[in-house]
Amino acid sequence: MIIEVKNLKKTYEGAVPVHAVKNINLNVAKGEFVAIMGRSGSGKSTLLHQLGLLDTPTDGEIIIDGVNLVSLSAEQKTKFRLEKLGYVFQAYALLPELTALESVYLPLMLQGVGKKEYIKKATKMLGEVGLKERVHHLPCELSGGEQQRVALARAIINNPKILFADEPCANLDSESSKTILNLLKKLNEELGQTIVMVSHDSEDKKYVERVIWLKDGLIEKEEKVS
Amino acid sequence: MNIRASFFLAFTAVKRGSKGIVIMTILIMALAYVNIVFITSIFGGIIEGIEAEAINNQLGNIVITPGVDEKYIKNKAIEWIDAIPGVVGSATHYIDNAIISYDERNDGKDIKSGNWPVKSIDVPNEKKVTNIHNSIIEGSFLEPRDRDKIIIGKEIAGGHGGLMEEQSLGGVFVGDKIDVQFSNGIKRTYKIKGIFSTKGMQAVQMVFVTKKEMESVLNVNNWASEILVKIKNTGEEDVVINEIRQLGFQDEDIKRWDKLMGSTESASDSFGMISIILGVIGTFVAGITIFIIIFVSVVNKRVQIGILKAIGMGEGTIVLSFLMQALFYGIAGILIGISFMMFVLYPLFLAHPLDFPMAWVSLKITANTIMVSNISLFMASLIGGLIPAYNGVKKEILKLIKD
Repeated sequence: MIIEVKNLKKTYEGAVPVHAVKNINLNVAKGEFVAIMGRSGSGKSTLLHQLGLLDTPTDGEIIIDGVNLVSLSAEQKTKFRLEKLGYVFQAYALLPELTALESVYLPLMLQGVGKKEYIKKATKMLGEVGLKERVHHLPCELSGGEQQRVALARAIINNPKILFADEPCANLDSESSKTILNLLKKLNEELGQTIVMVSHDSEDKKYVERVIWLKDGLIEKEEKVS
Repeated sequence: MNIRASFFLAFTAVKRGSKGIVIMTILIMALAYVNIVFITSIFGGIIEGIEAEAINNQLGNIVITPGVDEKYIKNKAIEWIDAIPGVVGSATHYIDNAIISYDERNDGKDIKSGNWPVKSIDVPNEKKVTNIHNSIIEGSFLEPRDRDKIIIGKEIAGGHGGLMEEQSLGGVFVGDKIDVQFSNGIKRTYKIKGIFSTKGMQAVQMVFVTKKEMESVLNVNNWASEILVKIKNTGEEDVVINEIRQLGFQDEDIKRWDKLMGSTESASDSFGMISIILGVIGTFVAGITIFIIIFVSVVNKRVQIGILKAIGMGEGTIVLSFLMQALFYGIAGILIGISFMMFVLYPLFLAHPLDFPMAWVSLKITANTIMVSNISLFMASLIGGLIPAYNGVKKEILKLIKD
């Protein structure tokens, strides 16, 4: 298993504590394309944030690629995110001052890759997501779908072990959504990329292999999709 | 920490950010820099002006006075002082406190008088040491052969815009005759040949007659009440004093000009202290300015900071990118500020010095002033940029991303 989650809990303290994730155990195999679904407030994004090291669980264990994430220091988590994980956000999360090419090669730059090399790889990656003609455009010059494709290219440029996608199509029209989901499916089928995607649209089931349904911070059921 | 990535982010932020904000930020830093340097250099100029007044119009660089219990310097080595390396010239003075009076209507009534020091000057030598000959506002300077002529300071003359009209002679002009009664009782009448004005208050409360005239009054010959020595390089007085001592001036009292400044010295010290305080305040203001600019930038970019952390950029790399931006603004401000100071303000004040009561003042910009100001603004930019950046990136990723 590339992801093992044991007794995961996440509580947001406050006047009234919110138990967003109550006690979750799940596994994801290498090369699997899994969707986490459920109604609003079921804990989907919270679960994804814990798995993607964007947040710290209150309790429990997360083991990714044999590494217990909870035991990592802040610097180790940063390095892990850079080298092993890719993240696609709902709202694209591109830096407004960087062109498509610069956004995509930034993770390579952080890895110490040479300039010629990172430009070459980033250009190729943008070609693979269908943005060969848009490499020097800023986010404000790209459509929503194009921005999300840039975000996707950035997320996978470092060949992550796992790609996390948090409602990647929530802000897209149906055509652009289809493009993104097809790209994800292609990544999974052709390159064996392990993908965990959060979605609230049950139509997205047809792109994945398995759906984990959450309800009130717990796994309600798991559904294999043929 | 990835310096290359930090530089890349900083560069693109400046290059593609709002040009107006970049220009304005640099201008603010340049103004802050000019503020720091200007304050320091104007006060430096005031102090330098005061000191120049003292050296050029009153004390020279070195003042030799008679030893204990002696009234005059009688050392024959007086004539060898000029031969000391580094000495521009020396001027001997006799000094006598006299009662000077002026009877405007020549009727013995309404006579204005007062007690002032009368100094004698050896005209050619005096011109090497003091600048009084260039400070004549009416009439002309003395000639060596003048015996019945006198030049007086404007505070004694009165009627020339002085500050002590009440204590003056009430307004005498070139050509008027004044009576001088010396301490030995001898009374002479002199025609005013010139009236001089300098910035130093002590100098303009003096009168000057020729050496020959004074020697005839005091019945002395080739002695001196004081000797002023002017040297090429102010700051090397102690070396020259040593040489003077070796000429044989063992018993005389020899002092550097700065030891005789009196209340003027404390004024200089006060200006120096004010300059330091204002410089520190100016530096703080610059630091706080850049702090606010970077703080606003960090707040506006908190989502971007969250994204950068999410994709695996270390906090140190992010902080460094903001720091580089802060330093860019600081260094650009320094460069523009230096250019403005050296090519605009400095020549301007050199051509049109400020008319202060105690001195003509232009900007005194030294290498030390520039260096300290550069370091101050650099450090202000560094700290002003570091604190908000460091605090900004410490927040959790999700808190940053959720706008």
